[in-house]
Amino acid sequence: MATTTATFTLSSSDILSQAISLSTTSTLYKHDTTAEGLEQLNYHRALIPTGTNFDLIPESAALNANPANYAYIINKNTDVTDYAVISINSEVIGSLYGGDWMFIPWSCTETGATADSSIEVQATTHDCVIEYALFHSGETLLTSSD
Amino acid sequence: MATTNATITLSSADIADNSFSVSNTATLTKAGSATGITKTTGLSRIETSATTNIVLFDMGESTGVGGVGNITKGKLYIKNLNDRGDGTKFVAVLLGTVNIGNLYGGDWAFFPLDGGAGNDIEITPSSTTDTTLEYIMFYE
Repeated sequence: MATTTATFTLSSSDILSQAISLSTTSTLYKHDTTAEGLEQLNYHRALIPTGTNFDLIPESAALNANPANYAYIINKNTDVTDYAVISINSEVIGSLYGGDWMFIPWSCTETGATADSSIEVQATTHDCVIEYALFHSGETLLTSSD
Repeated sequence: MATTNATITLSSADIADNSFSVSNTATLTKAGSATGITKTTGLSRIETSATTNIVLFDMGESTGVGGVGNITKGKLYIKNLNDRGDGTKFVAVLLGTVNIGNLYGGDWAFFPLDGGAGNDIEITPSSTTDTTLEYIMFYE
């Protein structure tokens, strides 16, 4: 097993009349375990061209078998008007503008003929450089056909 | 305008041959702009023993928890404050009818929202064990 931590820090001195600051750290564990960490990692950097909705992180039966996966996605563009739309099964989660990031648990449990748990991305105004990490405990490997 | 920063650090000494660490800070701005977001629900905390769908934010109406409605763009932080327990209990986070993922005890998430009617933020605890959640939304 591996030990991976995800730390979030939020701070603002002026969005409220009092400063807000919070920090939290979680350890990424497998489902149905008390202390067994996820030990597999995919880390990618991709140039997403405009105009098409792509599967950024495809679903698979193996990912579905362990519903405790975690995805981190960042739009590395520097122009704040460049954005990529992130969605699951045609449900738009939100838009990552240049410099924005997100971190979500991902259960990969959408089922049925039209359901698809894949995390999708579509760049809009400009091509977007997207980096993403998936922490998981197993994905479906494709058998070589040659 | 306000300046609000959100930083993530992912770190592991043993998930790969070499240690892995990624850290990035995003300044929370209005969509497509360098102007800082100026609205927030403030930090909220709820406890529930329900195992049914609970609407955390009714994105198209004014009846969501906190009375915040008609949100079109936002960013949400949410954390399951429960202990991990036996590792089987979680809170499913849904966007409309789509299950995004499961927050086990101690887990957190931070993600952008496009909002609009039908894109409610909902939660479904997996157990009748009391679940405590903390969350804050920044929105336009």
